Amino acid sequence: MGIRLLAESAESATMLGLVNINPSTIIFTLINTLIIFLLYKFLLHNKVMEVLRKRQEKINADISAAEKAKADAEAAKADYLEKISGAKDEAQEIVANAVKKAGAREAEIIAEAEKSAALIREKAEESAELEKKRAINEVKDQISDIVIMAAQAVAEKEISEKDNEELINSFLVNVGEEK
Amino acid sequence: MSDMMRLMDEFTVEGPLLSGKFDLFGFQVEIAESVVVQLVVMVILGVLFFILGRNLKVEPTSKRQMAAEYIVGFFSGMVKDTMGEKYKNYTPYIGALFCFSIISSLMGLLGLRAPTADLSVVGTWAAVTFVLTIINKFKTGGVKGYLKSFIEPMPFMLPFNIIGDIANPVAQALRHFANILAGMVIGGLVYYALGQFALGLFSIGIPAVLSLYFDLFSSFIQAYIFVTLTMAYVAMAECGDD
Repeated sequence: MGIRLLAESAESATMLGLVNINPSTIIFTLINTLIIFLLYKFLLHNKVMEVLRKRQEKINADISAAEKAKADAEAAKADYLEKISGAKDEAQEIVANAVKKAGAREAEIIAEAEKSAALIREKAEESAELEKKRAINEVKDQISDIVIMAAQAVAEKEISEKDNEELINSFLVNVGEEK
Repeated sequence: MSDMMRLMDEFTVEGPLLSGKFDLFGFQVEIAESVVVQLVVMVILGVLFFILGRNLKVEPTSKRQMAAEYIVGFFSGMVKDTMGEKYKNYTPYIGALFCFSIISSLMGLLGLRAPTADLSVVGTWAAVTFVLTIINKFKTGGVKGYLKSFIEPMPFMLPFNIIGDIANPVAQALRHFANILAGMVIGGLVYYALGQFALGLFSIGIPAVLSLYFDLFSSFIQAYIFVTLTMAYVAMAECGDD
């Protein structure tokens, strides 16, 4: 068929065999592979790995920061809840105290009012008594005035026993009228 | 049939060209085509790595960085899955080897001779794997563990273990080399045949489909298989120190 594989070393000096092991090629390939290895490692692999490591660190830092923030928020929430329930208790206490105080005050006010009412009544009774005494005294004064008037009248008139008696009687009638 | 035979001249698949040759302290240094193409691959990879790896940010904004992270993550994941977490130091070598292999194979697309179609090149990589395997055996088991690994599970397995150890790199190298070479041969044959039969019309579609398989797909698969085998051999070389 005319297809020829030049398996043996080529006839011409410018050709290598198709299946051959060439020491120079091996050495060059080794060197080139080493160079490619170094190029890949330092130009690409290490740089990408560094970036990935930094990103991982950043993600870890972000996650821990987020977790801390969450924990803080939850602590704050618990704190607020506690405070709110505390405030409720406090409010109830305040109301209860106020009710108690108001009750005490009520009783006090009532007691005070009763006391002052009693005082007022006492005073009123006292002044009424005083008034009565004064009225009686006035009457007595008037009586004595009248007696004096009557005595003057008797003294002015030279009257008999009989007249005298009449005069006294009329005086007494006068007093009675006046009374 | 005889007409067809007459039409065909001769189709030859040749070894890599010898681009240069000089004496270095009595050692005959031969610069093969594969080595020259390797330099092209190195330049391409160097530029690619440099562009991908420069000014990366902690908070990625560019597609370039996503690509860089995807590539590095791909190799890291591969090494972690195949070898385990403690072998993660092998990641740069595996990544570099994969990139070198795949770009070398893809050089066929540019009309250059793929370095991976040269047994000396893939043979070198297989030899590196072999050395890494032995190093790992010594590291995990010491001299005693290394020697003991040859008579496990039973002493009569000694010859098989020795053959197995040597067969691994040979098979690994030949697999990669032969696949890429076969792709090259088949591609060349198709172009040759299409040219011979003056089927210019078909030469638009058929080579593209074949090229898609033999160049793109095969390049990727062979690079993947090669590094996977490297990882598996090295990780399996671990021997207990008992």
